[in-house]
Amino acid sequence: MDIDVSTGGLFGRALVHLEPGEKFVSDAGAMFRASSNIDIDVTTGNRGKGGILGGLGRLLTGDTFFLSTYEVTDGQPGEVGLAPTHLGEVRRVDITPDQAWLCAGGSFLGAESTLTLDTRFQGLKGFLGGESLSLLRVSGSGALLVSALGMLSGMQVEGELIVDTGHVVAFTEGLSYRIDKVGGGWINTWLSGEGFVMRFSGKGRIILQSHNPTRFGQHLGPLLPERQS
Amino acid sequence: MDHQIFGNPDRGNVTFTLAAGESVIVEAGSMSFMTAGMTVKPRLIGGLMAAVSRKLLGGESAFLSEYSTDTAGAVAIAPAFPGTVLRKELKGEGAGLLLAAGSFLACGPEVRLTTEYGGGRSWFSGTGPFILRATGSGPVFFNSYGAVVERVVQGSLTVDTGHLVAWEPTLEYRIRGMGSIKKTLFSGEGLVMAFTGSGRIFLQTRHLGGFVRWLSPFCH
Repeated sequence: MDIDVSTGGLFGRALVHLEPGEKFVSDAGAMFRASSNIDIDVTTGNRGKGGILGGLGRLLTGDTFFLSTYEVTDGQPGEVGLAPTHLGEVRRVDITPDQAWLCAGGSFLGAESTLTLDTRFQGLKGFLGGESLSLLRVSGSGALLVSALGMLSGMQVEGELIVDTGHVVAFTEGLSYRIDKVGGGWINTWLSGEGFVMRFSGKGRIILQSHNPTRFGQHLGPLLPERQS
Repeated sequence: MDHQIFGNPDRGNVTFTLAAGESVIVEAGSMSFMTAGMTVKPRLIGGLMAAVSRKLLGGESAFLSEYSTDTAGAVAIAPAFPGTVLRKELKGEGAGLLLAAGSFLACGPEVRLTTEYGGGRSWFSGTGPFILRATGSGPVFFNSYGAVVERVVQGSLTVDTGHLVAWEPTLEYRIRGMGSIKKTLFSGEGLVMAFTGSGRIFLQTRHLGGFVRWLSPFCH
């Protein structure tokens, strides 16, 4: 699929070119422009993973409840512009059938409809860090779009890598991880303010974001006035 | 301790590469990723009481984290907000650097950090009642909200309080209004800091307090 990803700087965005018969799925609300021949269908899921349960699962991953599906209606090519919530970069990840990826719920921007999106709720351990640890499993063949707060950087994991939960964007399935504290005892962890980390091991690719949206929110929140109601 | 700054001017973040036995001190909660084999220890600036009072009064994180390794490794950090990351090398001699609350990001292990209660002046300065003083030798990393304007002051410079990031202690400042009471109240500038002397000053082109004030009426 032909997608122009504008990156560099904080204002990443993507322009998805759709041929007749092609479909693209995004986070509901991510569209900022579309050609007039684009039809939007709102669903709670993609490729049989829909229904109320699929939508609920995505709500738990920190993503929006609904997905928007775009396609052209008149047999002519069309285009959809997508923009993420946060100030940061956007990147295209090409998924191949031999390698599924796991994508952090809050980092998902969109995907080609040929991909299968599967909500994998991480359970209680996902909540321990106070950050969204829940992941979407992305498999099949097609383009995935991810977004960041700040910069995106990809790296190859060989051996071990420790990543703060708020900085994980996506990684290849096959990398194993466990939720861990940063180091030392629990008191050290609490005092250091680092919260929880994912301790990755094995061999694979990982994409990280330079800034942590949860931490940004935690800094901004106390500065705002209390809610009236 | 090697370092590399990425993402400036708007997505600034730093990766430190540590050799065996080296360490770096960073703002608590700022770590994004690290290699295996790092030891992480919480550090207090100026003892427990100072840290607690700072937490209660200044809003600044009470703790720092020290990352060290016996082998070799890397640790990457980022400020809470998108902006620019700067580095200033302290040379042992000289007065060091003063940092407004929230500007500190990291420093080398030979840098000594103390907090100072800035008194009434700093209450009005909008930077919070505590100022961080960095002395000793080694690099200090600090961050801005927005881009950074660096100026060498010779004589005097008037600065809006919210835009102050860091300055050399060879500069003196006092708080004053922008002209008459009417101008002070209605110019939108409020109180300003009048710096005099000679030294380097770092300002930020945006002000988080201003953005929050704009956002606040929409919170309901």
